[in-house]
Amino acid sequence: MAEYYELRELEGRAPKLFGVATGTKLDEMFYKVEMEGERYVKKPLGGIPYLAVINLTGIPDSGKSVLAEQFAVAQASAGYKVLIVTVESPAHFLYTSLKQKCAAMNADFNSVERNIVIIDASESDELRENPRALMDTMAYAIREKKVTNVIIDSITGLYEHKEVMARQIVRQFFNFLKKWRQTGILVSQKRSAQASESAEAAGGLAVAHIVDGTIVLDKRLIETKWEMNLYGMPIGSVLRTIRIDGCRLTGHDTRPWVFEITELGTVNILKPLDEFIRKSS
Amino acid sequence: MEVIAKPKGGNIDKMAERVFMESINILGGLKKLVEYRNLTWLPSLAEAAYVVVLKNETVKTYKEIAKALGITEQTARNIATADEDEVRKYLAGELEERPREHIAGGIAKLAYRTLKEQGKLEYEEVALGQEEIEVLDIDWAVHVLARLKGLDFPVSREQLEDRLKGMIIKGKNVEEILASLEYPIRTPAELLHKIKERI
Repeated sequence: MAEYYELRELEGRAPKLFGVATGTKLDEMFYKVEMEGERYVKKPLGGIPYLAVINLTGIPDSGKSVLAEQFAVAQASAGYKVLIVTVESPAHFLYTSLKQKCAAMNADFNSVERNIVIIDASESDELRENPRALMDTMAYAIREKKVTNVIIDSITGLYEHKEVMARQIVRQFFNFLKKWRQTGILVSQKRSAQASESAEAAGGLAVAHIVDGTIVLDKRLIETKWEMNLYGMPIGSVLRTIRIDGCRLTGHDTRPWVFEITELGTVNILKPLDEFIRKSS
Repeated sequence: MEVIAKPKGGNIDKMAERVFMESINILGGLKKLVEYRNLTWLPSLAEAAYVVVLKNETVKTYKEIAKALGITEQTARNIATADEDEVRKYLAGELEERPREHIAGGIAKLAYRTLKEQGKLEYEEVALGQEEIEVLDIDWAVHVLARLKGLDFPVSREQLEDRLKGMIIKGKNVEEILASLEYPIRTPAELLHKIKERI
């Protein structure tokens, strides 16, 4: 028998709308609209929406894992438990990377260490090839460690030689994260045929359609005099942009923003691209 | 930072079987159930074992558990919310009247709690045949454990001498070995470790 609800019955089940901090200016790029007096005002959400499952996509070396790890450190240092499913990089490399992030972000590594759990799927065929086994392991970690945030880096690695199953696999993990009430980041890669600035990830647009929102990271090599003049950057330098392509849970800034990966290995979001160009001209 | 490198959790059937067997142990063993003509309890215990495992190890609702097992939602709820301490007192004869709790549910919850505390709910079993035991040269350990079956730890020297009397381990009298150990010995694993150090 099909289940249905009257809209008012869902009031008690609807999650609260607030932000889960990333430690970057992304926290201001998501916003909510509230009534103040007689007018509506935009207020920064303070992070990615609570319980949202966000797709973080981009070409290689665009900063996806850097941003995901920064989110992990921001949450863990604030006392929240984070589960990282590493599909690409073995756990001991991730450990080093997280330790460096803590130093760069002035976070207490002891606190972060206590609050992060890692599932290393990079070296386990069963975890990588069997979504059920991976989800059971994630459920174990979430339940035993009281995790509230999950990062999968990358979701693409779970269907890398079976892209026809991308939609099915992403749907399974999306439903899993919703059922376990997790705020999630799914890092996904792009195929070489896809436009670097688009939200289309490996697996096609299906990935973006399933998740609650997509954040696209892009990078462009400054190669021509025109680009040099436009962006005010020397030839050979790299312009990095970040853009919220869509989010069904809350309002957001739609403009591409320029960011840099600092020498300490953290994402530092600077300003909207149009302001960046204006300033350089 | 905890790292999980291989699959965990998930084998609900195996966990439910273990809870079921531990529930029978709590009731005094299968023989006691036969002697007291209580074999009719077994289906309820099996059902309760599954409810308890599904409630604690998965994220299923009572409705989903009831549907999976072919029972009513209320029965699933009664099993999962049974007060296991009340049931334990009832089984020990400390209560005059039968409590309102779901008895099988309480027993299954006691069994689940015991297995969880001992880390026995999710361990992987490895079967060793006689040949493997001989190759590993650990047949003495198998014989020691067989003789100690049913003995509650921690144990004293006298208890061990009584059970292991006359054994020869790697050419040494067991009494000689036991005389050189420190007591009490808290677990079978500790005993085997200490014996191994002496032989």
